[in-house]
Amino acid sequence: MKLAIDENRCKGCNLCTKVCPYKIFKEGKKLNRKGIVVPELDRPERCANCRLRNLYGRQLCGVCQLTCPDQAIHWIEEEPYEPHKVAIEY
Amino acid sequence: MSYEDWFREDRLPHIYCAGCGNGTIINCTLAAIDQMGWKKEETVFVSGIGCSSRAPGYILTDSLHTTHGRALAFATGVKLANPDLNVVVFTGDGDLAAIGGNHFIHACRRNIDLTVVCMNNQIYGMTGGQGSPTTPRGRLSSTTPYGAAETPFDLCELATAAGANYVARWTSYHVRELEKAVKVGLVTPGFSFIEALVQCPTAFGRRNKFRQVIDHVEYLKVHSLLKAKRDRMLENHEQIPEDMYVVGELTRRDRPAMGVKR
Amino acid sequence: MTARVEFWQGNTACAEGALAAGCSFFGGYPITPSTEIAEHMAAKLPKKGGVFIQMEDELASIASIIGASWTGARAMTATSGPGFSLMMENIGYAAMTETPCVVVNVQRGGPSTGQPTMSAQGDMMQVRFGSHGDYAIIALCPATVQEMYELTVKAFNLADKYRVPVFLMADETVGHMREKIIIPDKVERVERKPLVPGTLPFKATDPDLVPGFPQFGTGHHVHVTGLTHDERGYPCATSPKVHGALVQRLVDKIENARDDMADYDIINPDAEQVFVAYGAPVRTVQQVMHDKNDTTVGFLRIRIVWPFPEKALAHFKNARRFLVPEMNLGQIAREIERHVRVPVRSISKLGGELHTPAELIAALEAGQ
Repeated sequence: MKLAIDENRCKGCNLCTKVCPYKIFKEGKKLNRKGIVVPELDRPERCANCRLRNLYGRQLCGVCQLTCPDQAIHWIEEEPYEPHKVAIEY
Repeated sequence: MSYEDWFREDRLPHIYCAGCGNGTIINCTLAAIDQMGWKKEETVFVSGIGCSSRAPGYILTDSLHTTHGRALAFATGVKLANPDLNVVVFTGDGDLAAIGGNHFIHACRRNIDLTVVCMNNQIYGMTGGQGSPTTPRGRLSSTTPYGAAETPFDLCELATAAGANYVARWTSYHVRELEKAVKVGLVTPGFSFIEALVQCPTAFGRRNKFRQVIDHVEYLKVHSLLKAKRDRMLENHEQIPEDMYVVGELTRRDRPAMGVKR
Repeated sequence: MTARVEFWQGNTACAEGALAAGCSFFGGYPITPSTEIAEHMAAKLPKKGGVFIQMEDELASIASIIGASWTGARAMTATSGPGFSLMMENIGYAAMTETPCVVVNVQRGGPSTGQPTMSAQGDMMQVRFGSHGDYAIIALCPATVQEMYELTVKAFNLADKYRVPVFLMADETVGHMREKIIIPDKVERVERKPLVPGTLPFKATDPDLVPGFPQFGTGHHVHVTGLTHDERGYPCATSPKVHGALVQRLVDKIENARDDMADYDIINPDAEQVFVAYGAPVRTVQQVMHDKNDTTVGFLRIRIVWPFPEKALAHFKNARRFLVPEMNLGQIAREIERHVRVPVRSISKLGGELHTPAELIAALEAGQ
């Protein structure tokens, strides 16, 4: 699973940046075509729900989705063999 | 199935301002309803007028968006005429406590099997930020430019005094707790009242020094006082600060109810 | 099977008519002189499996019956002047959302608290135009206890047929009068047209401009709103086109059916002087017609006042003058003036008492 922000719905309130325990959501910097600064994802693979939802068969955490007033946060299934950007933390 | 399936996808995004807490409360309510396993065709949402009352329009069930303040009276008719329907009412502080105050206390008194979710933003948001019966003392609004002089309503105390079976209060920060409270309200026969304090960045926050949405949510979080802690403080004869909101399950009882599913 | 004969009060007849029509929800609030209807429903409705609820005020009464109506129930409330004024906002809501419901107004003297125990017809314009904005409704006026029964049944059928709030504009005289009444074994029942699954809930495809009724709990997922809405039922409050089309249809669906639903009696169509009456004054005119027995005096007795049956007036080709006895300051007389080219004399009487035959005869003779 991977996190996705629906740019059509997001209104840029940045509440997600406040509630995520992993601080995955970061305030964005660029205006999108609707004139909204959509938050950026910082290493979203750390999200517990992304990693473990299919393993556990249920929603984990999910506070960002529940908090998002604009129903803009979703988890979507990954394509098979989708490339990942791997960040190595020392 | 997840609660996202309950949205009328063709109407999103909704009309709420950026950062408005109402969307969060809809999420929590729908998440609770989804856990109940209710069918969409046997669930009805009723609302009055105001920001909060636009909510049923974004939910894929039968819904009744009525006149200002009368949501509970309409819901009473729906529920009594067909008790097999699950009726949930979305309302706001102005809708419920000001123009609909009489319907509110009488619905509590009758203890009709409704679940009422009140999005209390402490202001009239849709008309541009006038003071409401829950605007705290000293807060600025377009009709209280020198600070609200009137003492606000405590809606939960009011519901309890009027006879509701279940009363709880949370804020838009406490999403999981709110979801659980709504679920308990849905399960409880009789009148369930869940007050959700929400941020209104456009009409309330802007005038009251909450420059960012997060500032107001942070304020609600910091000024929430758990009921258990409040009780402890009362036992120890401590002073409870006036600007704190008591959150948690405030009332749960089993008075005779009307319109419970046959 | 033989029909039953009773000696009933008008309000009792109204309540019994509602029960015969299958009314299963009554939300009311006590107000003189309509209270007997609520009392009778409170006693009878629960035994028939229906719901009676005494709401906290008239605003809530009408709200509750609109809510009940959306679950498919035939719903009714009864009130009088002050309560009727309180209901106005939600009557507009019922018209906008096309909610079938029946409101009985047993009229009393106004304005304000006025004469609670006296008769009047002062709400005839309020019922048509009282709520804000343009809309159309149906209003029926009974003149006898028998009609209190029959027109109540008819009100439910018209409400369901046209999806509109229907008003039984009785008055204290008819409401509190006791009279012989013949109860039929069976009454006619016109059902609501259900919404065809897969079609839009507020799109009228039939020539009668009435869309199918998407009853709550039947899986139509309909959004009902008092805001200007498009054919899906979604709010669309800033589009001039959508608003114009919606309000025009709400009015047209009633106005186009004006002739279909018209309900009136014509006596002596060749007469020179013609009485036009509805409600309690009908009784005085009947007495005058009986006493005078004169073919130069005509009588138009109207049962459905709104939409106004203006074609009925055209039947009186030789009419020199229309005489309109009303227990108000000429509310319907003014409506008649719009439709005829001859003088219209309003015989208004305030104070709560019926016109006497002598008063009507004096008016008649003044014109000869």
